[in-house]
Formats: sequence, structure tokens, C-alpha cells
Amino acid sequence: MSFRKSLGIRHLVCGSCNGCEHEVNALSNAYYDITQEGWDIVASPRHADVITVTGPMTQAMREAAEATLEAVPQPRIVVGIGDCATGEGPWSGSACAGNGAGIELRAEVIVRGCPPTPTEIRAGLAWAASLLHSKASTAPSIGSVAESGTNR
Amino acid sequence: MTTSIQVLTAGESFRERVLAEAAGPGVPLGAYADADSLHYLFLREEGGPFVLTHRLGESLDASAVSGIWPVFSWDEREMAQDRGVCFEELPDARPLWAERGVMPEAMVAYGEGLMHFVVGPVHAGVIEPGRFTFSSGGETVVHLDAQLGYAHRGVERALEGRSTLANAPFVARICGSCSAARSFAYARALEILSGVEVSEPIDLARLVFAELERIYNHVGDLAASSSGAGWAVGFARGMALKEEAMRLNQIASGHRLLFDAIIPGGVSPATLTARLAIRAGVAALEERTERYVRDVFGNASLVSRWHGAGVVSHDTSRAFGATGPAHRASHGTVDVRTFAPYGAYCSLPIRVARASSGDAFARCQVKSAELTESFRLLREALAALGDAALPTVQPVSPAAGSVMTVIEGPRGAELVALRVGRDGTVERLHIISASYRNWPLVVRAMEGNIVPDFPLVNKSFNLCYACADR
Ligand code: SF4
Repeated sequence: MSFRKSLGIRHLVCGSCNGCEHEVNALSNAYYDITQEGWDIVASPRHADVITVTGPMTQAMREAAEATLEAVPQPRIVVGIGDCATGEGPWSGSACAGNGAGIELRAEVIVRGCPPTPTEIRAGLAWAASLLHSKASTAPSIGSVAESGTNR
Repeated sequence: MTTSIQVLTAGESFRERVLAEAAGPGVPLGAYADADSLHYLFLREEGGPFVLTHRLGESLDASAVSGIWPVFSWDEREMAQDRGVCFEELPDARPLWAERGVMPEAMVAYGEGLMHFVVGPVHAGVIEPGRFTFSSGGETVVHLDAQLGYAHRGVERALEGRSTLANAPFVARICGSCSAARSFAYARALEILSGVEVSEPIDLARLVFAELERIYNHVGDLAASSSGAGWAVGFARGMALKEEAMRLNQIASGHRLLFDAIIPGGVSPATLTARLAIRAGVAALEERTERYVRDVFGNASLVSRWHGAGVVSHDTSRAFGATGPAHRASHGTVDVRTFAPYGAYCSLPIRVARASSGDAFARCQVKSAELTESFRLLREALAALGDAALPTVQPVSPAAGSVMTVIEGPRGAELVALRVGRDGTVERLHIISASYRNWPLVVRAMEGNIVPDFPLVNKSFNLCYACADR
């Protein structure tokens, strides 16, 4: 299974100021057009390989965020985008905000910035794609499961 | 523009006074509470901000006005939930936001053939979280309940007790889409309390940032409204144009979303340095925007989908306190830049964009007319600024006191109410965003529309969640 040329990205907002969303949205504009990489922002966590998260995490979002993450099939990579997601944003430590969506949702890739530029986010996604590729190649492939007959 | 504050004590007469002001000279902006008082906020033509203050007794009892003026409905629910005010006759007494992570039940319509479905808080696109509960008969929406608050970070409490100046970059990060307008309002609040008047070049520089913010937002809104009506090319071109606008923001302010460009006492020293590049960038963007707007409005099938979608009547818009393009698209006349002018807007007159059909078309019409006007203002301000270096930032040290400032942001009136204590720290900071005011209008606009038009109706407002939730 290769994720090098195909990546479903699901975006999850956990109390960001929406500045990060402007930049994630910019990935789809004609200047950055990530579909040229074979990447796509998908509408359902079920279709996703990578989940990008922003914001400090809020009390109100915590449960829905965990449920969304759980809905993403394995192997998956969580990418924390923006200083808020890494717990270094303006609202970390405030009473209703958490430790950063990226920290709470166990991100393996972090993209710093307030907000990070589309180019920086793109680099983080490329890193996620290669991590995912190595995760997927160490897991038993669908082919080998079928061969061993355990799937019948 | 100083804030005039009228303090009333007797309970009954306060309610009457608020109702009279809302019906009469004042544009109602909202209300908030602090430990011992309620404050109802208005904007008067030329007179500027006007506050009616009511001292609460120990029981924190008050009588609600939202039964008559629904513009105060979210504010009164928030005061009850967040500050423990006990309102009598609150028409919708549910908490406004989730409590300990649990959202109160949605309000739904019952009747033969009606069904209910919930969308959110996690949405399919790259957008902020919110829960929308539809009651529909077939495809027709009978009622919609919008429950937000998922981005509630406790911003106001987090900023209390801290230095007014140190708070400025935090205020800029309450909401990314209206950061410049909010920084502008906060800077003005501190300057008024400090008795500081910024110089004309600073006023002009601030106008440049405020209009750049309007431009990238309005262009993005037109793109989103094209997408809401199913025109992919209009969306793609609009988003490319928005990218160009954000690159111009970067050249002008050093930040693609204009964060921290406007600061207390002036503008950030690193801004508006490459004047030649900025002027060229504005000219190029203006030409491309004109062409884009012409093509959007020249697309008959797109425009026909905008017509009649999400109609808000003038009466509804007034009762719910619509602001900004949403207000001006329903016969409204108020634009804070001309209604209660501030800074460079006092000397640069503006043609207020207006439309009357109250639908998605009218909202797009207003925004496109405002784009034309914003470019004109940018050109004039940049010409007046010439190539001279900007004055340095003035020292600001606010005296104890209360003030309220209102700035016309891309979505309407962006309000900051601030009380500074004797030690120079923030005692209370309340933010009312244009999105907070306008969300209840999105709900009304959907009534009688078909479910598949929700993205279009919603995008024709294109409101933020972050500044509404705080
Ligand atoms: S990192 Fe900055 S831009 Fe991103 S959500 Fe946080 S405050 Fe907003």
C-alpha cells in the first residue's frame, strides 16, 4: 500500500481562531493546489489517512474530536497545525481551553506558526505521507492476509 | 468619540429605558454583565457609543428585554449562563453554550410530516465547529437551531487581570478573520483612556489595514457564495484572488492575515514599508477583482440561484440587530464608518452600499459594491501617505475607566467594551462580534428554504465562529 501518491486529509477544528483554517483552505487554491500531489481534503474521517487538527482544544469539542479521530481508519497520522495545536498558542492555560489539540490527540507531526504558511503546512503533510508510508509497509498487507487464508 | 454612560438603578424603569433607546435613537449593539451591573450598548448617529448601565442587587435579578428585542437574546442567555444573572421572562432560557461539555437540547419544530436532523459540530469542509439542528418537512426547512460555543476558549476571563498592553496580541488572535478590526477597536479603546490621539498618517495606515481585511474577506465570501450555488470555476477563481489579496496583506503588514499590524498607539513599525510594491499590488488586485465581480454577476444561472435564497426582511433584520453587509442588504443604512466615524473615515467620505432584496443576491451585491469602495479608499489613503515614513508608536498608558469602541469590520460592527482598573490592568473586557450578532439571522434566513440551499445561504453571510464563541 502506498500513500506517497494518495492522501486523504480530514481537517478538524478544535477551538482555533480560524486563522489556521484560512491557510489550510489555501492548500486547495490554484497557487498551492495539493491535488497535484495526489492529496485531497476529504469530507469524512472514514475517507481519511491524515487528520489535521488546529486550536487549543475546548471543553465543548473534546468528545466530538476524539470520536472523529477514532473514526479514521488505521494506519493514520495526526498532524497538529499552528501554535495553538501545540499548546503554545495564546489561549493555552485558559479555563475552557486544553493543552493543544495536537498534543491531546497525539499528533506525530507538528507544524508551528501563527498561522503556519501553506508551504509550511504542505511540508508537514509530506512528512505525514512518508510516515504513513513506512507505517503501512510494516503492517501486514491485505494481499498477505488473503494468501494465508485467515480472511476466508 | 467618547462613550457616554448612563447609570440607572430602579429595575423597572431600566427595562423601559432600554426599550425606548432600542426603538428610538440608538442602534442596539448588545449587552453584557460584570460582577454587579448589566450594560446595554447602543450606537447613536454622530453621538457615538451609548451605554445604559443597571446596578444589580444581591439576587442578580433582572427583567429580560429579548422578548421584545430579540437582538438581546443571545446576550441575555450568555449573561445568565456565564455571569449568573437571573432574568425574568427570558423567552429562550436554555444555556447559550455547552455546560461541562454537554450541549443543551436543540429547539425543534413538531408537526405532521416534520423530521429532525443534526449537522455538526464537526463539518465536512475546512470550517469551524457548530451544531445545526434542522426541522424540515420534506426538503423545506421549517426551523433551524444553531448552537455554537464549540470554540469557546474563555477568552474574556483569560484576558482579565492582565496588562492592557500585553493583551494586544491576544486580542488580535481571538478571531483570524476580523483580527485587524478587533485590534483597531482595542487600540482605540486604550488610546481614549490614555487621552492619546494618533496622527493622520497613522489613521490612514489603519484604514489601509481595515480595508485590506474587508477585501480579502469579501472576495472569499463571493468565492464561497459561488461554490454554494454550485459554480466551481467561480469558487476556484475567487479563492485564487483571495490568495493574491493575502499576499498583498503580507507585503503591506508582514502577515497574511494582518495580525498585529494595528497596535495601541499606532501601527507596527515593520508595516507599509514597500510603498511602491503595495501601490502596484493594490492596482493589480483591483483590476482582477473588478473582472472577477463582473464575471460573477454576469453569470445568469449563478445569479438566479442567489435570488430569493435566504431572504431576511427589513423588520427581521432590525429586530435581530443585523449588522454589516447582512444589515445593508435588507434596506439597512448603518455603516459605522459613516454613522459614527472614527480615524481616517472622519475625513474620507464613503458611499454606503445598500440593497433591498435581503437575499443571498443582495448580500453579494453589497459586498461587491463595498469592494469597489474599499479599493478607492485604499488608493486615496496610499496617495495621501506618499512615501514618507510612518510616525513611531506613541506611548499609551490607560487611566482607570470604562470605554466602548466600535469599528466596521468585514461582517459589521466589531465592538470592544473595556474597563481598566486603577493598577492599569483589565478588569473586564467584552467582545461583541458582527458574527455573534448575525448568526441568529442565518437561522431566520433558512426558514422556508430548501435544505440543499443551506450552504449557499450560510456562505452568503460567511460568519465566523471563533469571535462569536470567544
Ligand atoms: S495558531 Fe494562531 S492562527 Fe492558528 S488558531 Fe492559534 S491563534 Fe489562530
